[in-house]
Amino acid sequence: MKLEGTQTISAPREGVYRLLSDPAVIARLLPGCEKLEPAGPDTYEVKMKLGLAALSGSYQGTVKLSEQRPPEHLRLTVTSRGPWGFADGDGGFTLSEQGGQTTVHYAGELKVGGMVASIGSRLLDGAARMVIAQFFKNLEREAAAE
Amino acid sequence: MIPASFEYFAPRSLEEALQLLAHHGTEAKLLAGGHSLLPMMKLRLATPRTLIDLGRIRGLSYIREDGGRISIGAMTTHAEVESSELLRRRAPLLPETAAEIGDVQVRNRGTLGGSLAHADPAADYPAALLALDAECVLTSQKGTRTVVAKDFFVDMLTTALQAGEILTEVRFAADSPRTGSAYRKLHHPASGFAIVGVAARLTLDATGKGSAVSVGITGVAPKPYRATGVERGLLGQTLDAKRIAEASAQATRGVEPLSDLQASARYRAAMAAVFTRRALAAALGRAQKQG
Amino acid sequence: MKRKEDPRLIQGLGHYVDDLSLPGQLYAAILRSPHAHARLRKIDRSAAERAAGVVAVITGEDIRGVLGTIPVAAALPELKVPPHYPLAIDNICYVGEPVAVVVADDRYRARDAVDLIEVDYEPLPAVTDPEKALEKSSPRVHEQFKDNQACLWKIEAGFPDRAFKKADRIVRQRFLNQRLIPVAMEPRGVLASYDPGPELLTVWSSTQIPHLLRTQIAAMLNVPEMRVRVIAPEVGGGFGSKLNVYGEEALVAHLAMKLGRPVKWMETRRENFLATIHGRDQIDDVEVAVKQDGRILALKCRLTADLGAYHQLLTPAIPTLTGLLMLGCYKIPAVKIEYVGVFTNKMATDAYRGAGRPEATYLIERMVDLVALELGKDPAEIRRQNFPKPKDFPYSTPTGVIYDSGNYEATLKKALELAGYKKLREEQKKLWKQGRYLGIGLSTYVEICAMGPSSAMPAGGWESGTVRIEPTGKVTVLTGASPHGQGQETSFAQVVADELGISPDSVIVIHGDTQAVPYGIGTFGSRATAVGGTAMFLAVQKLKDKLKRLAGHLLGVDPKRIEMGEGKLVVKGKPKKSKSFLEVVQAAYVAKTLPPNFEPGLEATTFFEPSNFTFPFGAHVCVVEVDAETGDVHILRYVAVDDCGNVINPLLVDGQVHGGIVQALGQALFEEAVYDENGQLLTGELMDYAIPRAWDVPRIETARTVTPSPVNPMGVKGVGEAGTIAATPAIVNAVVDALRPLGVRDIQMPLKRERLWALLEARGS
Repeated sequence: MKLEGTQTISAPREGVYRLLSDPAVIARLLPGCEKLEPAGPDTYEVKMKLGLAALSGSYQGTVKLSEQRPPEHLRLTVTSRGPWGFADGDGGFTLSEQGGQTTVHYAGELKVGGMVASIGSRLLDGAARMVIAQFFKNLEREAAAE
Repeated sequence: MIPASFEYFAPRSLEEALQLLAHHGTEAKLLAGGHSLLPMMKLRLATPRTLIDLGRIRGLSYIREDGGRISIGAMTTHAEVESSELLRRRAPLLPETAAEIGDVQVRNRGTLGGSLAHADPAADYPAALLALDAECVLTSQKGTRTVVAKDFFVDMLTTALQAGEILTEVRFAADSPRTGSAYRKLHHPASGFAIVGVAARLTLDATGKGSAVSVGITGVAPKPYRATGVERGLLGQTLDAKRIAEASAQATRGVEPLSDLQASARYRAAMAAVFTRRALAAALGRAQKQG
Repeated sequence: MKRKEDPRLIQGLGHYVDDLSLPGQLYAAILRSPHAHARLRKIDRSAAERAAGVVAVITGEDIRGVLGTIPVAAALPELKVPPHYPLAIDNICYVGEPVAVVVADDRYRARDAVDLIEVDYEPLPAVTDPEKALEKSSPRVHEQFKDNQACLWKIEAGFPDRAFKKADRIVRQRFLNQRLIPVAMEPRGVLASYDPGPELLTVWSSTQIPHLLRTQIAAMLNVPEMRVRVIAPEVGGGFGSKLNVYGEEALVAHLAMKLGRPVKWMETRRENFLATIHGRDQIDDVEVAVKQDGRILALKCRLTADLGAYHQLLTPAIPTLTGLLMLGCYKIPAVKIEYVGVFTNKMATDAYRGAGRPEATYLIERMVDLVALELGKDPAEIRRQNFPKPKDFPYSTPTGVIYDSGNYEATLKKALELAGYKKLREEQKKLWKQGRYLGIGLSTYVEICAMGPSSAMPAGGWESGTVRIEPTGKVTVLTGASPHGQGQETSFAQVVADELGISPDSVIVIHGDTQAVPYGIGTFGSRATAVGGTAMFLAVQKLKDKLKRLAGHLLGVDPKRIEMGEGKLVVKGKPKKSKSFLEVVQAAYVAKTLPPNFEPGLEATTFFEPSNFTFPFGAHVCVVEVDAETGDVHILRYVAVDDCGNVINPLLVDGQVHGGIVQALGQALFEEAVYDENGQLLTGELMDYAIPRAWDVPRIETARTVTPSPVNPMGVKGVGEAGTIAATPAIVNAVVDALRPLGVRDIQMPLKRERLWALLEARGS
């Protein structure tokens, strides 16, 4: 499933980039992230509780940062697996600034497997939208707190 | 199809249920009709530690009218809504919608409150509740509060219910004279849920103009919504087929429709317009009949 | 006569596998791969083994060299057969492939422990498109093979190339026959128990083929066959999906022997979608050579079949049935077919109601409509023109089969009359002018039933039947066919009762237990009545001869003068001179007054092998209207005229026709197993995979013509799959016909609303 979109954050680009490339912040941006620990260069092990209301499950996986070109581009690769199967997201963030605001363009792909893929397709579009919206809402909040 | 283990409580009173809910917090789920929750538990998509079954509580299943306001208890089944003489007379939109939910077995077990609290983006009731300008009564140990339908549905599978709260009642105004309503739906061929579900209610003034128009749409977006663009195009206007068709083209204005295996966003948007027109046309015909 | 089976079934008194419980029974739950293609690096089962109630956790390593491979019975030249184990060893090739099994003291604990097994998968690139899989650059499903081509099978007869040169026109079309999921009401289930005293392994399985299963399980477990008993209790539908030998059947039996306790495994619906065989999944590139006058000279087809990752029992053989039947009920003198079977990272396909014949009928019936369209002729006329005439039967086709008997014009005529075809065409013209889309679809089909002569069947094409008249005059019938919903407990009882002049209530039909019933082949391919019924019919004849001989002896007349009456044996022409049925039966058992060299008792067994298949046929007419705004298809009329030879029980025949049509409607309008490009099954539940619901089913008008089959003494042909074979093209032809004013030529199945809406929208409806 392709994911693409644009979000505007009311903060300068350098600050937004710093947030996006800080593992401690990423841990707060990922909805349901319970733990994030280093596991190699730019790679972290995560524990997440992902879920929508009644539907929730614990995942473990990795977060990897790459293609870092401050302050305009970086790539985030998240893999996760749990009893429902797996969900892997891979996407690039491109940042541009205008009038003190940062526009974040994201483009990537979400691959899901196992139960999530075979019975969740009806809800997948909406669920992905919710997770992305939360991610950026958290980013906005972090940026405001800076 | 084998659920994970859970603790089960069957409280006999609302107070007891609220107490249990307060005690078990977010690990607890309320069991109403069970037609959404239990399948998810069997697949282990939902693994609540505690189930609080509302089925043994007396007094949560009723349909009554008091001074032009209708109130329905949250544990009222779809079948009861569908067959209620009172509703058929005073707010026929709701029984017409209930009749479109699932199949007979689902309607015999599923409940109004359960369906609303689950907030499936393709459930039928939310469209009707939005069109009826209904209020949801949420009860907790601290007391009760009411939330209008528009604010009750927050996002996909997410409602305004806070920890410790139970949806106990739904209220709305009975139809005023010269009111017509209709629910029109494009069924998902597998699940029977709404790919598009449109509930429309309109009231005509003495000159045949729309003095109140409301359109609730489900299935199209992550949460049900009021098609305000459509409503604006009809309010205060002399209603006829042409005007309805024009206004219905606004059914997905400001909305980014969902996409899945059965229906792309483009098709959903087109069908939202078609079913909005069909629902409004039927509602108009019914309103005119009361002339 | 109403079904004898129904009172117990509708009262909940039937016993399915999950209704059975044995003392000390354990439950198995299976961990399945979420990846379509992966290497198994490591499996850590320690946490699962420590979990409460867990008795054993078994992986592929534990069965290496212990359990044999899952059998494939299809024989095709140069068929590639990858080893296929009940639990994956080393590699995973499709989502849902079993990786480990947990056995615990209840099914909940078994399921809980499945989540505790840690598997380290190394994902590999997957391939799900059969045409991409044939490209050189494609990932290979099985590393040991040089490519993904599983088999290649060809037919060529009657000089097709020459015919194409002589053609006035060549009509070409690609048809996709989408992958379907059989969705039997009862998923699979196995209960196994080993009794060490008599050294007897008993396996209850929801199967269509108990005897073949027994032979194969014995081989996989390396247990002598006589120490294995297989019982098919009530079976909640199969549609071909239980005409198979599954890894779980051997695995559960193995666990019962290894652990010394009974073990039960019940498939969940989710597993049923992922890991029970799928059906269809062919790409058919077809071209036909036609003369301007409508004669079809030749047909060529390249058939690409997506077989999935492994072979199940008959996987690669199914498309060969498509090949044999591809010319349909038309006298087409030349043919060239090339069938390529392809491995992909998906569940295996195999026999699903119709098994290869629906694909053939679909492509030829769609093709004939396209010929009519191109030549500007009526589709009924083109059909009539190319039918073999009644005098042409038995008719040998260029594909090498011999149609036993037929009168295709008669069924078509009857169907058109019932539908009011002429009037419908007039009505259609009127509605088209109003911008409404009415369509009329025809399907004239022939199919291959009563599988079949042994030369065409890997495990033999015969069936056994035993009839035993008990000392009290009641009758027990044992049939090697293993009916599972078709109603042979009723129809077989009727046949035996009629032959013996007794009430059907005095007859019981026993099936599905290898210890009670002589070896048999099973119920599939619309064979149970034509082959199994005939075996039983012939066994009754043996008993009738014996009864007559004994009655003649008792009455002091020549047995040739004795005939069967209602409840008695009568001397011809002397109605008062008779012995009651019971008297003669008792005489056979008490054995005091027997003729010389007369064996006591009344039991006879026949193993019957037919000389040929049977070829039922028919004509279906479907009338639809397409909603111009939504693309929704409304079936307004459905007329089915079927000829299945002589009919034993009209109610059962109608029931089969109805059910078949409904299943065909599923394929035409809704059903589609969708895998994404990574090999994930996206339609993994009944929330997403649409099978027809009661409200989708139109009123079905049935009628019959009767052309008896010459290949069996009852003249029956079989009807279990006819509806499924006939109706899919009838419905699609109707919808394509409805949209003809838009210039629509073909629409890919399933005819989803959005697909039709897009056509309507694009052409400015």
